[in-house]
Amino acid sequence: MIQAFGSLAISFFLFSHAAVADSRQSAYQLLSPTNQAMQNDMNLNPALFAIMDGEALWQEKSQANGKSCASCHGDVKQSMRGVFATFPKIIHQKLQNVEGQINACRTRHQHLTVFAYESKPMLALSTLIAFQSRGLPIQAASIGSVKNDYESGKNLYFQRIGQLNLSCAQCHDDRAGLKLGGSVIPQAHPTGYPIYRIEWQGMGSLQRRLRNCLSGVRAEPYAYGSKELVQIELYLMHRANGMIIESPGIRP
Amino acid sequence: MSSRRLFISSMTAICLSPWHRAQASTSDAQQVISKIIGNQSVKTGRIYFELPPLVENGNLVAVKCSVQSPMTANDYVKVIHMIAEGNPLPNVVSCYFTPLSGKAEFSTRIRLADSQRVWVLAQMSNGEFWRTSADTVVTLSACTEMI
Amino acid sequence: MSRSSRAVVTFPKDVKRGELFSIRAIVQHDMESGFRHTEQGVRVPRDIIREFVCTYNGRPVFRADLHPGIGSNPIFIFDAKADQSGVIECRWSGDNDYLTVLQQPITVL
Repeated sequence: MIQAFGSLAISFFLFSHAAVADSRQSAYQLLSPTNQAMQNDMNLNPALFAIMDGEALWQEKSQANGKSCASCHGDVKQSMRGVFATFPKIIHQKLQNVEGQINACRTRHQHLTVFAYESKPMLALSTLIAFQSRGLPIQAASIGSVKNDYESGKNLYFQRIGQLNLSCAQCHDDRAGLKLGGSVIPQAHPTGYPIYRIEWQGMGSLQRRLRNCLSGVRAEPYAYGSKELVQIELYLMHRANGMIIESPGIRP
Repeated sequence: MSSRRLFISSMTAICLSPWHRAQASTSDAQQVISKIIGNQSVKTGRIYFELPPLVENGNLVAVKCSVQSPMTANDYVKVIHMIAEGNPLPNVVSCYFTPLSGKAEFSTRIRLADSQRVWVLAQMSNGEFWRTSADTVVTLSACTEMI
Repeated sequence: MSRSSRAVVTFPKDVKRGELFSIRAIVQHDMESGFRHTEQGVRVPRDIIREFVCTYNGRPVFRADLHPGIGSNPIFIFDAKADQSGVIECRWSGDNDYLTVLQQPITVL
């Protein structure tokens, strides 16, 4: 009896001092096997066409000054490899996510108007860029470089809001794995974005999903591209730092 | 459960005009099947039908159908029909084969509006009909969303 | 002028004579079911692919009649028997003058 307890104690000691198992889990684990297969195989993944649209846009020359994304960035597979994994980050003193940076490039370097969030071309380009980070770990910007935005994002994550008076943390930290309605509450890591969400029957950004959550707790959703949403994105990427990117993901 | 469904569908038939009904009834699906079969008899079995018993979202459901057959010029599967009882329109897809198909099998992705029974009807080159069905629980509706 | 969209057809480049091979055909199309409503309650009209036909050197291998119950970006996976080298053609046609045709060569050894 004491011998059994002893060996149990030793194995517990060894386990806890071995590489600590990462308790973080992507919502991929909650998908049915068919949907997982759909995500894994790019020939079956409905985001396939968004990527092809993105590839075409990458080559499209600006009508204003003849520049395309390719003019500066060359082959997307080379120049954008791992880039999505590092966003959001500070560029020209502003916290930018990928959508914001795409628009900054369009206006500053191509002299074109911005793409609206969730528009087909915006999703095509963001999916294309995210796809170049598939299989790579998230490398969130160092907290020192984004200190104020990180703190704001963290506060927003823990702040109770809306008529239901709920914070992100209450569902996604405290109750992840439990059920809300018929669905299991995921830990809410941004590893799959932009996703093909089956409910949307199309691609969508992380900000679209965040706005869904906000209206879900009956709060006024922050506007697309708002400082608050980018700060929440930043906090989420930090929270998921090191997790492998699956973009473009499939979600129900 | 089935008598409750019968009650609801008969109430629906009285209260709403066909264009506003969000969901076809079991009898709509049976009408479609009768139209396909005509006066012929239909045997149950022979068809392999893969439908997930629990669906996370009805907008995109992977299905697979397969019928064993030598697929020769004299003996092949002519067509496989899929009919969904709980969809606004019961007909989902009809797939036609020839001996050159080699195998009477297909996979596709369908929409399911609600938890329901889905029927698969196969017709052989000699005119014979076979059928099977599978039930599924759908946790989110597919066809009747708001934009 | 017909509308068209992207399509991807996948099958092995070469197959042994007499063997079965799998063809995967997926096309970019929203398959607007005609059962959705805007927030104002206006019905969004149906706009779907109605027919998909795959021929092998002009001979039909697989044909499907599609209804709104087929999901967006319709995919079909089916088989064909390899008997001659030539062309696999996939053709999708539908509402509002929709037509996409994709041809790909196949070598039978």
